[in-house]
Amino acid sequence: MESLLARHWAALVIFGLAVLTPLFVRDAFFLDSLVLILLWGALSAAWNVASGYAGQVSLGHSAFFGIGAYAAALLATRWQQSPWLGMLVGVAVSLAAGALIGYLSNRLRGPYFALSTIAFSQVLLILASRWRGFTAGSEGIPVPFRPGFWTLGLGHVAWVYVALGLAVLYYLAQVYLERSRIGYRLAGVREDEDAAQALGIPSRRLKVFAITLSAAMTSVVGTLWAQYVGFVDPVYVFSVDLSIRFALNTIIGGMGTALGPFLGSILITTVETYLRATFSGVKTGFAGIYLILYGCILILVVRFVPEGLAGVAARLRARAARAHA
Amino acid sequence: MDSAARLGPAEIDVLAQLGVATVLLGSIYALIAVGLTLIFGIMRVVNFAHGEFLMLGMYLAFWSFTLWSIDPWFMLVVAIPLFFLVGLVTYALVMRGVVHASHNVQIFTTVGLSIALQNLALVLWTGDYHMLRPWHASAVVRIGGTAFNLSQVVAFTVSVALTLALFAFMKWTHVGRVMRATAQDGEAATLMGIDTDRVYRFTFAIGIACVGAAGVLVAPLYAAYPTAGLQFVLLAYVVVVLGGLGDMVGALLGSLIVAGVEVVGSYFFGAAWKEVFYFVLFIAVLMFRPAGLFGQRGAETLGA
Repeated sequence: MESLLARHWAALVIFGLAVLTPLFVRDAFFLDSLVLILLWGALSAAWNVASGYAGQVSLGHSAFFGIGAYAAALLATRWQQSPWLGMLVGVAVSLAAGALIGYLSNRLRGPYFALSTIAFSQVLLILASRWRGFTAGSEGIPVPFRPGFWTLGLGHVAWVYVALGLAVLYYLAQVYLERSRIGYRLAGVREDEDAAQALGIPSRRLKVFAITLSAAMTSVVGTLWAQYVGFVDPVYVFSVDLSIRFALNTIIGGMGTALGPFLGSILITTVETYLRATFSGVKTGFAGIYLILYGCILILVVRFVPEGLAGVAARLRARAARAHA
Repeated sequence: MDSAARLGPAEIDVLAQLGVATVLLGSIYALIAVGLTLIFGIMRVVNFAHGEFLMLGMYLAFWSFTLWSIDPWFMLVVAIPLFFLVGLVTYALVMRGVVHASHNVQIFTTVGLSIALQNLALVLWTGDYHMLRPWHASAVVRIGGTAFNLSQVVAFTVSVALTLALFAFMKWTHVGRVMRATAQDGEAATLMGIDTDRVYRFTFAIGIACVGAAGVLVAPLYAAYPTAGLQFVLLAYVVVVLGGLGDMVGALLGSLIVAGVEVVGSYFFGAAWKEVFYFVLFIAVLMFRPAGLFGQRGAETLGA
């Protein structure tokens, strides 16, 4: 029990604060930021499952995000169905798509895999923006707001708890991946696929499993995001930039760690919100300034602290422990 | 093609038009792809920021035309050395430290560079589409039963000349031999007294000079905007993977194939769907012949 506490105290603090915040804070802007932090964290955690734990670095994860977003938006607007049902449909489609892309690009490693995932998300982008009859094309779909839990028309406080529930679930899923038999095998595949295969680990099946799981997890957040923001358009939900954003959060927080995606999301979302508030109104072009910063941060982080914030924290803790002994 | 549509089907020979359009377009794609494949072949780095240098080339042509009315053709003479220099600087600041790093580090370093450059363009020049219209963009050239604008024909000629010059350079000069030796076996090259760091720096600079020149050449044909590079570079990945990453002749053939798919696809199904064809082609090639149509099997699973 004590070791559990020692291992997960940071997550307990973060999620605990998120539980308490809505009880004391009623500021809509603040609560909105909190929801975004949690949703981005969950998205990055989903990306982390394929890329951090299984080592299949994807730059096309927006594909699954978009599938989830579109599934719910289309079901809600065309057939008046609940977004929860849309979420299930999105998950089903994403499971199929994830299994397909995972199976087909099984042999590909490193940059080849990244390229094939980009191509996949671009195909979906073109489909969604050109198939006007079905998806409403590049104008996008406004998602109607109908109050109630069943229709996901919630207030800010309720949204915090929905997003938080999902974030905690994804955190636990990652912890499971770290500590279970399947997780150790995935780590083996990630570190040295040939050696893992030689030990009899079914590396191909494991990689497909990780990508499929990661796709479904991404899709769920896609649905929630569409309902929260209230608008789905193909250029955003299928963009390469979005995929990069999942990666950015995770890399800065620490790839292949359960806490990393959430740490990265807290940092990046906060900085973005702050800079947006500061520069909006000055000149529209300044919107790009924080993105220039992202690019530079990404270059510096992968070069000098590739293990991310979580890794740095672990290193400091180890040093402190040595000093004690 | 636009020009064909404007002239109407009666005046031109469709088959010839499609054929010539493929070759003209393919030559430009080749110039973009050849730099990408060169950098990959020698440095073993996939440059995810390649398209952004194309975009910068387009802006260079646009601004020099708009501000000082310098024709993009003359700008080419400035652009090649300028982008060579940009390549040297980028290598020193960003790439040098990651040549020997893991895939993840390489991927995200170049992705980071791409984000930074795209948004630099966004901040400096806004997200508007910028199109420049020199006189030769509306001058019609007739070849046999076909019709094209002069910008396109000159872009083709210059692209072919530059690509051939690069091929000759790689094949017959000492530096070219040194570069090929480094590509074959970096360690052995070091043992033979080759300064591989210098080779990498030079390689990167040449690759960027090629794509910068391509940017200037396509500026009269396509609008410049901050993410203009993305479409081209996605296409260049298709070309390069088709030809086998690192294979320069393969990149040439790949360019023609992709251009052909694009030209024929847009003729039959409309320009809106053309990208679907080459992405599907791309995914198919990655699945079934990941080392490229002409590459050696298994190359994609080597440390790449």
